[in-house]
Amino acid sequence: MSVMALLRPTAISNVSEDQFVVVHPLDDVREDKVDTASLGRMSMTPSVKMSLMALRGYLVLMMLLVLYHVIDLSGALGQSTH
Amino acid sequence: MQEKAIVALGSADVQMPAVRGRLVRSKWARNLLTFLVVFGPGLIVMEADNDAGAVSTYVQAGAQYGTRLLWLLLLLLPVTYFIQEMVVRLGIATGKGHATMIYQRFGKWWGLFSLIDLQVVNFLTLVTEFAAIALALGHMNIAPKVGVPVAAVGLMFMVLTGSYRRWERVTVFLCLLDTAWLFIAFKLRPATWGGAVHDMFVAGLPTGGVTTGLVFLMVAIVGTTIAPWQLFFQQSCVADKRLRFADLKWSRLDTFLGAVFTIVVAGCMMVAGNAAKVHGLAFSDPAQLAHDLQPFAGEAVRSGLLLLMINAAVLGTTAISLSSAWAYGEVRGWPHSLEMPVRKAKGFYATYVVCVALAAAIVLIPGAPLQLIIIGVQVLAGIMLPSAIIFLQLLLNDKQVLGDEYVNKPWNNWVNWTIIIVLFILSLILAAQVVAPNLFPAT
Repeated sequence: MSVMALLRPTAISNVSEDQFVVVHPLDDVREDKVDTASLGRMSMTPSVKMSLMALRGYLVLMMLLVLYHVIDLSGALGQSTH
Repeated sequence: MQEKAIVALGSADVQMPAVRGRLVRSKWARNLLTFLVVFGPGLIVMEADNDAGAVSTYVQAGAQYGTRLLWLLLLLLPVTYFIQEMVVRLGIATGKGHATMIYQRFGKWWGLFSLIDLQVVNFLTLVTEFAAIALALGHMNIAPKVGVPVAAVGLMFMVLTGSYRRWERVTVFLCLLDTAWLFIAFKLRPATWGGAVHDMFVAGLPTGGVTTGLVFLMVAIVGTTIAPWQLFFQQSCVADKRLRFADLKWSRLDTFLGAVFTIVVAGCMMVAGNAAKVHGLAFSDPAQLAHDLQPFAGEAVRSGLLLLMINAAVLGTTAISLSSAWAYGEVRGWPHSLEMPVRKAKGFYATYVVCVALAAAIVLIPGAPLQLIIIGVQVLAGIMLPSAIIFLQLLLNDKQVLGDEYVNKPWNNWVNWTIIIVLFILSLILAAQVVAPNLFPAT
């Protein structure tokens, strides 16, 4: 039996004692998940605040470096180092 | 959090509402079959990361340094697994994509920042995928203006069938085609396998020590093995496949096997590049290398390398375009599922089609600044990766979302913060080289 045939689902309505049913997630009843929409925004604990601040600092630094690189390549800082 | 059994244990003859599934008679068969139905997103996200850019990076590493950097790949195996495993947990617990989670938990500013960054990096990466397809087709005497549109149309048909399962089967098949890299590595094997095994398990630097080229290449290897789109892709894929809480252990196994397969294939790429070093060939790109290796390795290796390069680009394109389409669809609130027919998820499919068509069209423009685009991809991906992983880490510590069962354990956090710090340091080294190009010796 090929893998495809093995995975092909059939309609099952009766399961005997020595049998197991394997259902593909897409054929199964939708599972209840966490309602994240009703939770709102993440609470700003000190560690979350610190992480986001570090991220902001990192992004500002990276943007400045990219800007410096572009200005350097344009020759505005004298002879380009590249 | 509710633990839902995905299999009905036959404790007695049970009459139940008709379900579509498979009946098996042993626990062993049940486990195997459950794994097979869950299998897919982990392998695809990992192997699609061995895209055209990755082929180029790994082969270049082999061409310049032989098998000396194989240890770095081995080191990246647990790193890539740990990061994607977190995505799986988040996807299964919420049933939502990564873009939605950032919007909902960090607000519009961070959500928009992540989305725009993702879309820009993804699009530029797509252009490089089609550039690789054009390059490989050129070496096979197929005109890119014919081959590239054909590839683009094929990529569109892959997703427009309205069946997640059909797309997944085709993509898994393409992933498994990459086992041909083992054949390539065998044909181009190093003088002794013992040396390669030594280089895999004993970390060391190539002759010449730390140079600018080596640092850039090592950062590129890390950057190409862990990419931001992977986080968005796998979480959306897990959500689209509607994986259940009970599927978590099988999804972890899928991700782990995917990571192992990907690293093995990446190692084979490095071994293939090593052949250029052995034969004293100058490396410019993998397609040229395939051509140059023909006199030593034969036509099968040449054609194999070119076809695998196209396969890598096709895999990368479908996964990256889907990560863009899922993320954009989630944020816009559009229906966004591969299970939906085109008429019911027009915006989602249109995003995918536009990404693929536009990237293919740019490659066909004569004189398009492809080198600038490749550099742009590296810079933006380098900037985005640490920030994307910080959001992931914060979300995985969010007890309101994950509860006690699925939230990160202390050891998870130690591992993940170590990974984040290393990635930040690598980004800063890259940035420092921009400011001070002579930070490391040139040779």
